Amino acid sequence: MEITLNVNGKQHAVEVSADTSLLDALRDLGYSSVKRGCNDGTCGACTVLLDGKPVYSCSVLAAQAAGHAIQTVDSLGGQQTGWDFTLDLHPLQEAFVEVGAIQCGFCTPAMVLTAKHLLDKNPDPTEQEVRDALSGVICRCTGYEKPVKAVLLAAARMRGDEEKARRFAAEAMPEVYAVPQVEGYHRVGQPDRKVDALKLVQGKPAFAEDFEMPGMLIAKVLRSPVAHARIKRIDTSKAKALPGVHAVLTWKDIPRVVYSTAGQSDPIPGPLDTFSLDNKVRFVGDRVAFVAAETEEIAEQALQLIEVEYEELPVIIDPEDALKEGAPIIHDEPEYVDFGESDAGKNIAARIRIDIGDVEKGFAEADYIFEGEYEVPRVHQAYSEPHVAITYWDENDRLVVRTSTQVPFHTRRQLAPVLNLPIKKIRVVKPRIGGGFGGKQEVLMEDIPAHLTIATGRPVKYVYTDEEEFTAARPRHHMKIRLKTGVKKDGTITANEMYALSDTGAYGGHALTVVGNTGHKAMALYVGDGEYRKHPNIRFYADTVYTNTVPTGAYRGYGATQGVFSVERHMDKIARALGMDPIAFRLKNALRPGEYHPFSLAWNEGREPSPETIDTNALREAAAKAKEAVKWDEKYNNPEWHKVPGKPHLRRGIGVAMMMQGTSIAKLDMGGAFIKMNEDGSFNMMVGAADLGTGSDTVLAQMAAEVLGVPLEDIIVVSGDTDFTPFDKGAYASSTTYVSGAAATRAAEQVAERIRIRAAAMLNARGDGDEVSPADIVLADRKATAPDGRFVTLREIGFNSIHHENQEQIMGAASFLSQASPPPFGVQIAEVTVDVETGQVWVDALTTVADAGVVINPLTASGQVEGGVNQGLGYGTTEEMPYTPDGQPLVRSFRDYHVPLAPEMPRLKTIFVETFEPSHPFGVKSVAEYPLNGVAPAVANAVYNALGASVDSGPVTPEKVWRASKAKK
Amino acid sequence: MHLEYHRPQTLDEALTLLAREAPFTVPLAGGAFLNARQRPAALPQEDVAVVDLQDLGLEGITPRGNFTDLGATTPLQALVDADLPQALKEAAYLETTYARRFLQTVAGTLVAADGVSLFAAAMMALDARLTLAPDDEVLPLGELYPDRWRHLRGKLMTKVTIPANAKLVLETVAPSRLSRPLLVVAVAQWPSGRTRMVLGGWGEAPHLAMDGPEPTGAEQAARNAAYEAADHRASAEYRREVAVVLARRALASLE
Repeated sequence: MEITLNVNGKQHAVEVSADTSLLDALRDLGYSSVKRGCNDGTCGACTVLLDGKPVYSCSVLAAQAAGHAIQTVDSLGGQQTGWDFTLDLHPLQEAFVEVGAIQCGFCTPAMVLTAKHLLDKNPDPTEQEVRDALSGVICRCTGYEKPVKAVLLAAARMRGDEEKARRFAAEAMPEVYAVPQVEGYHRVGQPDRKVDALKLVQGKPAFAEDFEMPGMLIAKVLRSPVAHARIKRIDTSKAKALPGVHAVLTWKDIPRVVYSTAGQSDPIPGPLDTFSLDNKVRFVGDRVAFVAAETEEIAEQALQLIEVEYEELPVIIDPEDALKEGAPIIHDEPEYVDFGESDAGKNIAARIRIDIGDVEKGFAEADYIFEGEYEVPRVHQAYSEPHVAITYWDENDRLVVRTSTQVPFHTRRQLAPVLNLPIKKIRVVKPRIGGGFGGKQEVLMEDIPAHLTIATGRPVKYVYTDEEEFTAARPRHHMKIRLKTGVKKDGTITANEMYALSDTGAYGGHALTVVGNTGHKAMALYVGDGEYRKHPNIRFYADTVYTNTVPTGAYRGYGATQGVFSVERHMDKIARALGMDPIAFRLKNALRPGEYHPFSLAWNEGREPSPETIDTNALREAAAKAKEAVKWDEKYNNPEWHKVPGKPHLRRGIGVAMMMQGTSIAKLDMGGAFIKMNEDGSFNMMVGAADLGTGSDTVLAQMAAEVLGVPLEDIIVVSGDTDFTPFDKGAYASSTTYVSGAAATRAAEQVAERIRIRAAAMLNARGDGDEVSPADIVLADRKATAPDGRFVTLREIGFNSIHHENQEQIMGAASFLSQASPPPFGVQIAEVTVDVETGQVWVDALTTVADAGVVINPLTASGQVEGGVNQGLGYGTTEEMPYTPDGQPLVRSFRDYHVPLAPEMPRLKTIFVETFEPSHPFGVKSVAEYPLNGVAPAVANAVYNALGASVDSGPVTPEKVWRASKAKK
Repeated sequence: MHLEYHRPQTLDEALTLLAREAPFTVPLAGGAFLNARQRPAALPQEDVAVVDLQDLGLEGITPRGNFTDLGATTPLQALVDADLPQALKEAAYLETTYARRFLQTVAGTLVAADGVSLFAAAMMALDARLTLAPDDEVLPLGELYPDRWRHLRGKLMTKVTIPANAKLVLETVAPSRLSRPLLVVAVAQWPSGRTRMVLGGWGEAPHLAMDGPEPTGAEQAARNAAYEAADHRASAEYRREVAVVLARRALASLE
């Protein structure tokens, strides 16, 4: 039917079907600011205003919207870059940019529109009203803290209330206790606006799916309805005969190449156990066939026409069953390639056995032995942008893969053998990414459109559906963990032992490295005291097993999350049993500056280990700040504070957790950067690093700008394109600011050196002062200045070097290989109220104090903390992905999976206690991962403090609290 | 998939479309469910034709003596913004998020509801009456749920009537404030003493636990209603025991 859509005041006559959503119609019209997220009416990324009210455009038929005024973010304001350069952002857009409310930016247009609706009807909203309005837009990056402040700031400005505006802007900033080294910096340490904020706040076509090609086909995948089976027969003839279908591929049609989907450096530290398509399915959602067709509807019809006969096999759901004698073998294919101690014949994807010191002697010397069992659930990253890949042959017959990935260079390398193409025939382009959190550290689905492009010669687009994201992506590993700790009466830990049983699901991409971090990060924090501090006794054993559930992979925290939950619960119970303050007990036994990382001689992500000393560790200072911020001493042991006046069924509690992560993988992680100078004194910086919303493009540019003496706007960043940027291992292992940042700094130093040489020559050629040496030139304020104050501008140097004399391209190229993995440290404290009779838990406040080294940008760094806290809160309270006994997933969409929404977030407080990490030119360590890790155990420990009830499995649900409370009685 | 889209201008036109034998034709109240890729189990799973109700004037909140009429296509956000009893506003508020409350209508929410719907539990406790065109048949909400499409096929809900003089109390337990509740106890009490208690949080529809002239026996009724209330989110034992607690609290706050 033909309808007319009124979009931003413009009439569009469009032909739609009865089934066409407003989202599809708008995107077909080119309004790519309307983002396709879950496409199921839950995530809110597709929000538009319909007659001024926010609605999910995926849940409105295009025909329904006819006759109504539709407004997208394109109508609000934007940057004109034509003859008359103007910047006319809406005050809301300005505020979002100013306070760092934009991380990945995928949900930003939806948030801005929803906020506009709110302010149109209520110019002076309360914070709670803002949070309620934003409740329909899921944001996993920001923890909503800065978007809420942005809306309040914009509202205040629009009302002319500058005092409140200043207050809200200030509230977006964290407390930073800086080291003296940063005093002379101009860009490092500043809350600079993100380099990509303008395009994101305007909803420009920056993401993988915001890209159209003529003749592009749509890919769909037939997925297994059963958890474990052989494909006895598959008939695609009817599907192939359907008009509009261009290819139907099964395991018989493509090269049989065994590989790993884990996006990691070569050689992959894990088993090779995956095929693009196989004659066996190993979980509900496993691949059966690929289809490419003219439209999504035709592709879906074709899937229905594929006939498959399955021979069902016994199913393993519980990881403990995988290790039992006679268990069904999930990987019996002859091509399977073991890594380390993996043993497919026993369903073991990875095995670790580490003994440090003499654990049995440590136990024998202890006054008490504490044992505990813990369990943490499978959980999803819940990024807003689904996995998207578009593939096509370019004019040189090279395969271009435009994909939402955290690992463009690994994707290129790992795809090559799967597609039977040389690496040089593939170009991977990472556009803006709508969040990943580890879930896109995977060569998860790029092979599908690539095979179909090879089969058809046509461009192919493949977008994961909401159901595919929840049933066939790569969530966090479910683990069962046993801990045993020997302790002396004074609280000295004499020995620590952990056994982790990790469930990798049907494939083992990150089987070894994730569980390795469970011990490496969580167990290493507590070494003991006195002589035990010098010679800690630690045992870490782990088995990662296959089950017939969704394969698991990388998720922010990467194994440490599971370990921290268990260890921090365990430490709290020991402290309570000993009658010690839990913070004092932890600090007594925790690693200190100058000590060896106890695991560094035993394990390094499946590579050769090497000794590492902890140079910087502000855990004590962080704990002191945290205690002060929450008034710990007035609450923890205060019976009056635990009571809620007038509500005897409620109890308050406070709990702590401490965290240690790493910063990159030592002697493996490498990143490169290339910087060239332009005539106007600006610079192009090409980095292989993959900014997935974290702000890495911005902080890398800040470091380069610091060296070059220019404002951030003079650094033009291109990142993550395997043809145009140097190698970078990608966005994972908390490495980008450290590794890629050091590379950018080195490249900038090379450029700065050339600028100084040329500036000195230009000044000396003037003959109007003393001879100046390049070493004396200072770069600042877009100028190269001599000690006597004479200067040349960078613009003059740019023109001089490119066009006027001794022409050269001023440029620098460098890479950085991490020699260490300096751990950041943190303390998190949760305050809760618990309903004694029902087990309901309300998390009232979460405080994070972090030692992340030098903070390059306090807005982006605190944004990382706040986003991590949001995910940690979900991990602690609402999120899990259970399965039925026959392997059917009980979570199949965002509707089934509750992530914390804006009104549900507790009071957040973020504090940085800086250290200067000597192995990095600007003293940085990481901040990206560990703020997630402490939240769940801190919440469980706060419940423990409130009721004395011990919940040892996540999430901390009302029923678990209720049962633990009953058990205590 | 939607086979056809219609936007009738009159109720008669709509009813003519809905009365067709084929294709299966259903009202499009707001769109929050029908347009979604995964429809709730209560809604038809097959391909349907849809009848968009937006031009029929079925929206609005009308006080009528001891009753309040809620137009079928009244969005939930309108209830939140209206001068209605706080617990009813809260039920509409907690049913879904902000943007969905502009799309999701009273009738659509009730028809698509499962047992976890807080709004449906509240409305059932209030003994809400559905008016179905063409004959203005009045159907108690509780009678809709066992076989929804037997009652609704070929008909159109035009309004939902609730008592204006009954007090409503909601007690819930959920993993977080806006997550789907594990247990809901909704109690309505009339000036006469009549007390209706509905439990929710599991199953295909809310469960009527009690409807009596006075609240005597409410705690036992709550326990009984949750007797087999197990699913993957909570055990029956937990729901049984906590239902008693919530029932006690609800009744206490009515006093």
